[in-house]
Amino acid sequence: MSTQFEPNIVAFLCNWCSYAGADLAGTSRTHYPSNLNVIRVMCSGRVNPLFVVNALQQGADGVLVSGCHPGDCHYMEGNFHARRRFTLLRELLEYVGVEPGRFNMSWVSASEGAKWKDVVGEVVEKAKEAGPFKRFRRDKINW
Amino acid sequence: MNTELMTAELQDFIQNHDLYGCIQCGRCTGGCPVTVRTNLNVRRFVYNALDQSMRDDLAKLPEIWDCTACNTCAVRCPKGLKPVEVLMGLRNILVVEQGTVQPTVRDALESVFLEGNPWSKPRKTRSDWMEGLDVKIAEPGEKVENLIFVCCTVAYDPRVQVLAKNLVSLLNKSGVDYGFIGESEACCASEVHHLGEEDLFLEMVESNAELLNDYVAERIVAISPHCFSTFKNQYPALKAKVIHYTQLIAELLETNKLKFNKEYPQKIVFHDPCFLGKQNGIFAEPRAILGQIPGAEVVEFERRRERSLCCEGGGGKMWVESESKKERLAEIRARDAGTLGASILAVACPFCVLTLDDAIKAKGLEEQLRVAELLEIIGDLVD
Amino acid sequence: MNNKPKIGVYVCHCGVNIAKTVDVDAVSEFASRLPNVKVVRNYAYMCSDPGQFLIREDIEKEGLNRVVVASCSPRMHENTFRKTLNAVGLNPYYLEMANIREQCSWVHEDRDEATAKAKKLIYAAAAKVRLLEPLYEKEVDVEPASLVIGAGIAGIQAALDIANAGFKVYLVEKTPSVGGRMSQLDKTFPTLDCSACILTPKMVDVANHPNIELLAYSQVEEIAGYVGNFDVKVRKKARFVDVDKCTGCGICAQECRLTGRIPSEFDMGMGKRAAVYMPFPQAVPAKYTIDPERCLFLTRGKCGKSPKCADACTAGAINFEQQDEIVEFKVGTVIVATGFDPFDPARKPEYGYSDYANVLTGLELERLVSASGPTGGAIVLGEGENAFVPKDIAFIKCVGSRDKSVGNEYCSRVCCMYTAKLAHLVQEKVPGSNVRIYYMDVRAFGKGFEEFYDRVRRGGVRYIRGNPSEIFKRGDKLVVKVEDTLNAAPLEDEVDMVVLAVGLEPRNDAREIIDILRLSQSADRFYLEAHPKLAPVDTATDGVFLAGCAQGPKDIPDTVAQAKGAASSALVLLSSGKVKIQAQISFVNENTCRGCAYCVEICPYGAIELVAISRMGNTVQVARVNEALCKGCGACAAACFSGSIQQKSFMDRQILPQIAVLGVMR
Ligand SMILES: Cc1cc2nc3c(=O)[nH]c(=O)nc-3n(C[C@H](O)[C@H](O)[C@H](O)COP(=O)(O)OP(=O)(O)OC[C@H]3O[C@@H](n4cnc5c(N)ncnc54)[C@H](O)[C@@H]3O)c2cc1C
Ligand code: SF4
Ligand code: SF4
Ligand code: SF4
Ligand code: SF4
Repeated sequence: MSTQFEPNIVAFLCNWCSYAGADLAGTSRTHYPSNLNVIRVMCSGRVNPLFVVNALQQGADGVLVSGCHPGDCHYMEGNFHARRRFTLLRELLEYVGVEPGRFNMSWVSASEGAKWKDVVGEVVEKAKEAGPFKRFRRDKINW
Repeated sequence: MNTELMTAELQDFIQNHDLYGCIQCGRCTGGCPVTVRTNLNVRRFVYNALDQSMRDDLAKLPEIWDCTACNTCAVRCPKGLKPVEVLMGLRNILVVEQGTVQPTVRDALESVFLEGNPWSKPRKTRSDWMEGLDVKIAEPGEKVENLIFVCCTVAYDPRVQVLAKNLVSLLNKSGVDYGFIGESEACCASEVHHLGEEDLFLEMVESNAELLNDYVAERIVAISPHCFSTFKNQYPALKAKVIHYTQLIAELLETNKLKFNKEYPQKIVFHDPCFLGKQNGIFAEPRAILGQIPGAEVVEFERRRERSLCCEGGGGKMWVESESKKERLAEIRARDAGTLGASILAVACPFCVLTLDDAIKAKGLEEQLRVAELLEIIGDLVD
Repeated sequence: MNNKPKIGVYVCHCGVNIAKTVDVDAVSEFASRLPNVKVVRNYAYMCSDPGQFLIREDIEKEGLNRVVVASCSPRMHENTFRKTLNAVGLNPYYLEMANIREQCSWVHEDRDEATAKAKKLIYAAAAKVRLLEPLYEKEVDVEPASLVIGAGIAGIQAALDIANAGFKVYLVEKTPSVGGRMSQLDKTFPTLDCSACILTPKMVDVANHPNIELLAYSQVEEIAGYVGNFDVKVRKKARFVDVDKCTGCGICAQECRLTGRIPSEFDMGMGKRAAVYMPFPQAVPAKYTIDPERCLFLTRGKCGKSPKCADACTAGAINFEQQDEIVEFKVGTVIVATGFDPFDPARKPEYGYSDYANVLTGLELERLVSASGPTGGAIVLGEGENAFVPKDIAFIKCVGSRDKSVGNEYCSRVCCMYTAKLAHLVQEKVPGSNVRIYYMDVRAFGKGFEEFYDRVRRGGVRYIRGNPSEIFKRGDKLVVKVEDTLNAAPLEDEVDMVVLAVGLEPRNDAREIIDILRLSQSADRFYLEAHPKLAPVDTATDGVFLAGCAQGPKDIPDTVAQAKGAASSALVLLSSGKVKIQAQISFVNENTCRGCAYCVEICPYGAIELVAISRMGNTVQVARVNEALCKGCGACAAACFSGSIQQKSFMDRQILPQIAVLGVMR
């Protein structure tokens, strides 16, 4: 095993587009790093900003929220809410000194398996650059 | 076409002018007024500018100087392109990169750079027209409701200086708060842009915006539609709202701050200046002013408002002569006014005054028809 | 205790698909040490009958009350395993899946890495499944009736299909007659059948069908409720004519003091009507209506000595006392078929439409060429002494379509063909005429369209490629300023008549229905379908369907096809009689809700409203979710500051443990 730092990333994916896109990446047998673990929600609009903060507190080195492309939301406007919320959150995180590379948003449709692979690669790369995240960390599983 | 052979400069050019967006419908050329007398086919410029091997030669075609910047092509384009700007971009290549300009153009540009006006007149005589008049000059930092911007042509050309003089008298009579800028005023650079000197244009935009933003002005009132349109559409940094003087006068009439009380027994036909009408949708105000003139009969051209025929005054045409010997558009205009039996060909733009004056002479219509700017007409109508 | 979690974890090999990269034994061993896990098994194919049998048996024998299946994507088999649980009486929502195939074994090559990740995913699933709650899918009855809004060809067709299947239909039409735009057309491309000949029989069927209640000259005011149970309120506008008495004889109109003085909407203002009128002779219902904005008696309270229409009507049908009437009823489904407006060319002043009488729109020309039109089908312009037959005729295509300068970027899809049709008809009717069509593209994509275009062209209609920029008058002639782009030749073409092939736009009153039904619009401002390909007649609101040009420009064949699609989608609900509603929806903790209404604002379906309740003796406002409207997106739950609104199966307290596991576990 290499001694290189392997970040741990929590991802929130909407059921209809991004989760389906990630499934497609699997069916097409693309390969990408295993650092990212997915939590499925019905809509990116379900993702409470506190989930993101919580993930960082619980030990994640990076977080990704991914939904349908703007305008394609299965629930019409959920991803717009997500986009608005997370643009604010990103500023807030930057303000408290969290490296911008740790928090990511992407739009991946159900047909974009290849894009999903790229997104994972990118998010992992950014988290590697940012290094281990210790600032908020609690050391015990705690819910 | 091999895109790899394309220079980065051309790629930028294509992007900036959205050339790939063109569907070659022909509305630009179809609407272009000068096609009846010159070889200009703006659609083909849009088409050929995509191709590296053709584009650089396009700039050398003499007809790129026939464009009057009337903007009809841009207004009509269904895909949101501005074909006129493609021509201006090509003029820019010609003027800046290839350095081939006609002496008249070079002089005009140099004069803007050195003296702040394209007419090779000294900067310090810009306010000479004010002599003997009771003109209020605003100081930078001063709060002023209407900051008046006098066009270079109005400031220096004796034929149209009367516009500024009459405006002063009307403003004084109306009691409205106003201020002129005085000697520090400099060319709006509209024609610099149209002559293809983009760098100088941008420089002027920056320094003018700085100057104008120094005043605490509610709005800037331009005498020429060319300055008006340029400030309104090409000066994103301006803080004050920009209007044309016809809007101000129409407002003063409406609020009874001005009232015409002398007769003007003439048959008037109004020519819509492109920079006022077609480009900025100002059709109602000049007509509202004409409608208030006692004793006047107002008639309309067949080609009016959105369909007005350009007089070929803009787009740098003051300094570049077209090779065509065919009847000028201004002459067609004069002829049509004559046929209508009008005695006054009214305009609201100093360039239109100059081109139409010449046209009336060329057509030998001086006996029956005269050009008058709205300010010339109404200057004496108020006690 | 019954409710203490007893979890069974089932790890699937998926043949070798999973087992090759994930060490299923190691994973199983790991799972067996997780809190609350009672049983762990791994098996070649969990989704097979024997695989499912394992789960059922454990639930029954071991008393499992929670199940984690670690296999493929839940998008694949969640339903399969839900049924497995249900089969042995365990609530199907006590299931959580860990996707160790699509998102693990298939995308990672390193066996250690894949195994480690599979462990994490299973741990997270186990952490969540402990906290899941039983959910019950509700079924509601579907009211066996349908509302169809708009009675153009789309609404007529949909209404007839549903009525023929034996269900009640309320067909609401705004104008005095059914028929829509098709009734104004002369002949129809590409076959040139006469429009009235194919439409009128359907109009009559609608009026006579025992299952159809036609509410003409009426407007939908309000629709409340949800799929299966819509409460509809319709305003029947006063016609001032008693339809039970009116025989449609038309004496009133002949006698009206305003006869021949009011521009007829049906004839696009070219023909004239009276203040009491029937829009066109074949109108259905064949009853007269008094125009309240024109009628002298209704506007001024006086019409000569006494209203002439009332005096003339032998049936005594004229009734100036008539009032609007509100009709209320219940339906299970709604079809929106409100059609389109033709583009108003006054918005392109360069074409001089407002200035010149011989610049017409396509629809105006339809009336002119129609035998039932204002000139009896003769192509004559002007009136009296000034009447003339145009010889040089130019058509301009794409007027108001594919044009950013008027905000319409889309292609209207019918004008290419109706231009060909009209050019052909005009050419036939005016011998020796020169007809040319100015175009930028010819779109002849439908069945028989290219053949028709070919026929018209071969018949001598000139197609000149260039989109005109301006029209003005020179003497008696109209000058079309245009470039023949194939010759690069700017032209000033002098003609006697110009026909503008105006495009199709959303109706200018389209908002009314949006406000009533909360429909969305696509970028072109037409009503938005649920999915452009797979749900083209559905909307985001269950039970509400679209048909015809309300959804986007289309010709009659496509309109009818879509109307039939909408009818059959409505019939699926009507004939099954029941509709299941989402189980994973939101609910409010009314004890903690502060009534801030952020959720109300955010919900895309208007599923949440504030209600007043009494809390410790005080009346307070709290949010309440309408279970039939909620689609379970969870946006509200993310917006709530107090965590009072939660989405079932995706509650904060169910997701946070997943986060914790995935975050901490390395
Ligand atoms: C000039 C022209 C020529 C054409 N020629 C042809 C042709 O030859 N062949 C062909 O296939 N297609 C042709 N078409 C297209 C054809 O007209 C349409 O496909 C067809 O009319 C669409 O029918 P519809 O029922 O969707 O809409 P519409 O015909 O617009 O009917 C909608 C109906 O709904 C009513 N309505 C609207 N809003 C409400 C409301 N809120 N409440 C109650 N009622 C409401 C309206 O009053 C109207 O009766 C032509 C179109 C034009 C403009
Ligand atoms: S009008 Fe616009 S789209 Fe049409 S040919 Fe000209 S530039 Fe191209
Ligand atoms: S700006 Fe006017 S003159 Fe110049 S190309 Fe466009 S239409 Fe022609
Ligand atoms: S159908 Fe033809 S005329 Fe109509 S918008 Fe499309 S291309 Fe233009
Ligand atoms: S889950 Fe979505 S649809 Fe349901 S109430 Fe909340 S916001 Fe509305």
